[in-house]
Formats: sequence, C-alpha cells, structure tokens
Amino acid sequence: MNTIETNSLNRSFNGREAVRGISFAVAEGEIFGLLGPNGAGKTTTIRMLTGQLRPTSGEACVAGYDVVRQRQALKSQIGVVFEYQNLYERMTGRDNLLLAARLFGCDTRRVAEMLEKVGLQERAGEPIRSYSNGMKQRLLIARALIHDPRILFLDEPTKGLDPAASRQIRSLVKDLAGRGVTVLLTTHYMEEADQLCQRVAFLCDGRIVALDTSQNLKVAHGQRLVRAVFRDGGERTVRLDDPADGRQLGEWAAQGEIVTLHSAEATLEEIFIQLTGKGLAE
Amino acid sequence: MNGRIILAIAQKDIRDGIKNRYLLVGLILPVGMSLLFRVLFSGASDVATPTLAVYDPGGSRLTAQLQALPQINLLKVDSLTQLETQVRNAGMSVGGIAIPPSFDQDIASGTQPEITVYLNMQKNATQLAALRQLISDQVWALNPAAEPARIHWSDVAPSQGSSASAAFRVELYLLVLFLVMSLTMTGAFVVPLLLVEEKDKHTMEFLLVSPATPAEVVTGKAITGLVYSAIGAGTMLVLNNGWTGNWPMTFLAVLLGALFMVAVGLLMGSVFQTMMQVNTWSSIIMLIILAPTWFTVFQLPPILNTIVRLIPTYYMADLLNLSLSNMVTLSAGATDIGVLLASLILIFGLVIWILRRQET
Repeated sequence: MNTIETNSLNRSFNGREAVRGISFAVAEGEIFGLLGPNGAGKTTTIRMLTGQLRPTSGEACVAGYDVVRQRQALKSQIGVVFEYQNLYERMTGRDNLLLAARLFGCDTRRVAEMLEKVGLQERAGEPIRSYSNGMKQRLLIARALIHDPRILFLDEPTKGLDPAASRQIRSLVKDLAGRGVTVLLTTHYMEEADQLCQRVAFLCDGRIVALDTSQNLKVAHGQRLVRAVFRDGGERTVRLDDPADGRQLGEWAAQGEIVTLHSAEATLEEIFIQLTGKGLAE
Repeated sequence: MNGRIILAIAQKDIRDGIKNRYLLVGLILPVGMSLLFRVLFSGASDVATPTLAVYDPGGSRLTAQLQALPQINLLKVDSLTQLETQVRNAGMSVGGIAIPPSFDQDIASGTQPEITVYLNMQKNATQLAALRQLISDQVWALNPAAEPARIHWSDVAPSQGSSASAAFRVELYLLVLFLVMSLTMTGAFVVPLLLVEEKDKHTMEFLLVSPATPAEVVTGKAITGLVYSAIGAGTMLVLNNGWTGNWPMTFLAVLLGALFMVAVGLLMGSVFQTMMQVNTWSSIIMLIILAPTWFTVFQLPPILNTIVRLIPTYYMADLLNLSLSNMVTLSAGATDIGVLLASLILIFGLVIWILRRQET
C-alpha cells in the first residue's frame, strides 16, 4: 500500500519551473530517497508534500489525504525535519518538545519518552544554543516524531554533521523504518542514500531522471567491474560481463597471484553524472 | 480557531520574550523613561507652594493656624462662589475650605461645627492626600481631647469641556506621551519582531506543519502583544500614580490603543520578512505614529493640525488625556473611541486579507 503518491506534480516560482511533472509512489514503511544537487527541486517537493506549498498543477496524496484540499487533516499524519535547524534557540530542549506536544495535542509525557529515545534527556534543561549540531538534529527528529506520525519527511538530515553524528541519525532513521514509519528523505550525499534507502529517485532541474533501487540503478547504468590487486603491487580491472576476463580472473586466483579483490561497480554519484551530465555538488 | 493552539503559541512567546533582549528593551524603555522624566519633572507644574483658598467670614483660629504654616499659601476669598470658582475653573488652588462664621464659638460650646473642604481633582493624588492630612491635623489641634469639628470632603471635578483651557500639567503630558510610546513600542516593534523572527529563523515552517493555522499563529502573537501592552501600561500607571482619572475610561483607552497598535504590528509582521526590515521600518513608523502625542499641547498651524488628526494615535492620546484627567464621558470620548475602533477594524481586516493571500 502506498502512503505517498504524486501525479505530474508541478511548481513554478515567477515563471521558473522548480518542479516539473514528477510522479512517484512510496510504499508504507519504505525509506525513499530524493537525490539531487542544490536547486534540483528536492525541498520544493517536500514542501508541497507537507502542505507548506501549493503545487502549480498536478496532484499528491500523503497518508490518503490530498495535500491541497485536506492539508489540515494531513498534519497529524506527518512529521517534518527541516533542512534548517529551526528550533527555538532561547528555549530548552524540553520546552521545544513541550511546545510541539501542546500544538499537536498529545500527552506531554511523550516529551520525556522522545528525549530518552534520542539520548538527550540529560541535556533537556539546557537552552538549544548550547547544543551541538548533532544534538539539534536529534532533537529535530524527536520533535517531528512527538505525535507518532505515519510518515517522516527528512530534508538533508545529515547536512553539516560530523561522521559520528551522521551515523547516529542514520541509525535513528533505520530504527524508525523498522517500526513501520515511512521515511522520505532528501540528500545530496549518495553514500547516505545507498546505505539507507530502499529506492531512490534522481532529481535534476525539477525532473525525475531515474527511479529504482540503488542496486538496479547500478546494474542498469554501470558496468560490472572487479579490481584485482596482485602480489607484485600491480592492479587490473576485470569486466565480469566479458567471458575472457572472467576466465583470466579465475586463473590468477588459482595461481595465488591475487592479494585482494575489490568491487569496482559505479557509485550512485557516477550514475547521476552519467544520466544528467551534472555533479551532485553543483 | 483552536484555543489550545493559540494559547500554546502565546505562552511560548510570552516566556521566550523575556529572554529576548530586543523585546525586553522595547518593553522596559518606555516604563524606565517615564519614571526618569517623572523624577526630573516632579512637581514641575506645581513648583510654587500649593495654594489653599479659604472662605472664612468669621475670621476663625483655624485660618490663623493655616496661615502660619510654611507649606501652604492661603488665599482668602469673599464668597462661596469665589471659593468654588477658584478650585474648579482656575485649576490653581489645590483645594478650598469653607468655614462657618460661628466656627470658634461652636467649638467652644462643643457643638461640633462642620467645615467643607473642596479638593481640586485636577491636582495629583499625593498633593490631595497631603492636604487632607494637613487640614485634619490642624482641626484636631484646635481641641486634641475630642473631635472639635466635622470635616466634609468634597471632590471638585473640572468644568466639562474645559480641556482646552485646563492648566498644562507636565506629569499628565508625560504620562500620556509614555503610555502611547509604551503601546507603540509593544505594537509596532515587539509584535512584528515576534512574527518576523519566526520567519527569519524558519520556525514559522515548523508552526505551519503543526496543526496551527496562520490565523491561529497571528492570534497567538496578538494575545502576546496585548499581554505585554497590559504589563507595560499597567506598570506605568501604577508607578506614576500621581494622577486622578476615570478608571473604566482609562482601561478602555488603553485597551483600544493596545488593540490598534497590535493590529499595526501584525500588519508590519505580515508584510516584512526579515529582522533588518523591522528594525529599519519600525523606527520610521513609530515616529509617525507617535508624532500626534508630542503636539497635543502645542498650537499647530492649520495644515499640520489636519495632518496630525489623520493619524489615529491623535485620538488615542486625546482619549487618554481626557480619561486620565477625569474629564471624559462616553459622549465626550465618542469621536476618539469611534476613530480608534474604525482604524483597528480596518487594519485587522487588512491583516486577514494579506494572510489569506499569502496562504494561496
């Protein structure tokens, strides 16, 4: 069953098309990634799906609600972690969550529960401005989950975080998906998408240029390559689709000449460049 | 409209505002300035020793005692009418005493005569309290063993329609000026900052993906503005308690003024997107809004007088002036109330229109 469905979704700003007729569906409990460089239309798509922005044309349904006509009803079904760390900096972590709990009308006991879940219970009484970026990001996730939403939107959840903090966030996201929460995330970190997402959509100039699992994209658009490292320090790249290369690889292995074998398949970033002619950092 | 959501937003803003130094300055500055100027100008309108008018056809001992006191000037008048006129119209004497002709004899015979003390309600409460104490002390001094005479206290309100000719009172002028300034700072500076800070820090996006609607967010901010206005104006009135006025009308004047200023603030907050815009424009807008208050006591050229009357704060200052000096009735303040009501309805309507436009 799909929890997110879009059909020819468009959004223009002063005549400039930011999102051009995108259509996709996300199944319940799936982690779905929207990948693309800055300005590709990822945030605009999230803003339309969360009811913050009206599409210029097209339709979208989230948790069974039309994002334009049933925007108010949709709000209790979704949690949003924004690209910006938009917390109330002068307030404490606890007070930020209490405000969210009051707005959503949920039991304020959820606050302590969520603080514990994201490991911030000991710093809950401190103002946000004393928090590190990683702590703020965890609190944003806690705030988005305070009302137990069915769908979580994460806009660039690990942007600007150090590797340790990024790992914590990814672990939280995986844990959520394991409990049946549908996650739609945007990122321009391809490795992150590769690790987290069951399916990804490449977004470029407002259009979806590819949509599939990472594995299928790699198979469809990359080459099946293996890099062999030899005892003498030399390296050779072997194409698995070439029968002669395959036989040669077998011989080297039998003679004990190979020290290590490495997968040399294309990365998602290489596939993106191949499909769009643009890099993700552009 | 959901009351729970509106209260959650207002509660958050009221608590958070105390930690925001910009907002604190906006709230404290007018109160602090009013106190400072009150200290600097205390008694400026009553620099001379207060005058007490006396009608004493019998030439009593009480008059002689009062004449000997250094803290008061005695002005002898020839009739009750003169006495009342002195207290009511000239606005000069702090009060007046009417002493019966047989006052001394009555006291001697123990028949407890009655004197009437007229209190000029245009004078400040501290002066009036001091006068009451002084007269009571002097009457008791005539015979400390038993109450020698009864004192009938009579409050004298100024003549209706005499606002133009009423004596200029520095403390009232300053109180009205700083009250309007306090309401303006809260409305035209603090309220737009509350809204624009949410946009600037992107917390507005969080509010709008929560069940809060734009109308509920704006209402929450309006309530915050009204609470801050009430705290500011209330503090100022309590700390500058040297006034005698019409409490219900003062409350109405402050309420209408606060609502008008909050509406102006919401309009600014709906239009402006950055803190920089608020900081730049609010100073200019506040100057325009406050201008009529400065000129309430000056005779302006006709063209300037007309321009000043186009700004609703003129009517707010006038209503505050009338109510604080106890010269207001509902009919006398009807124009001020009408203009303020119409202005705030117009501006609130504009805010709602802008919000609906932004939503689509």
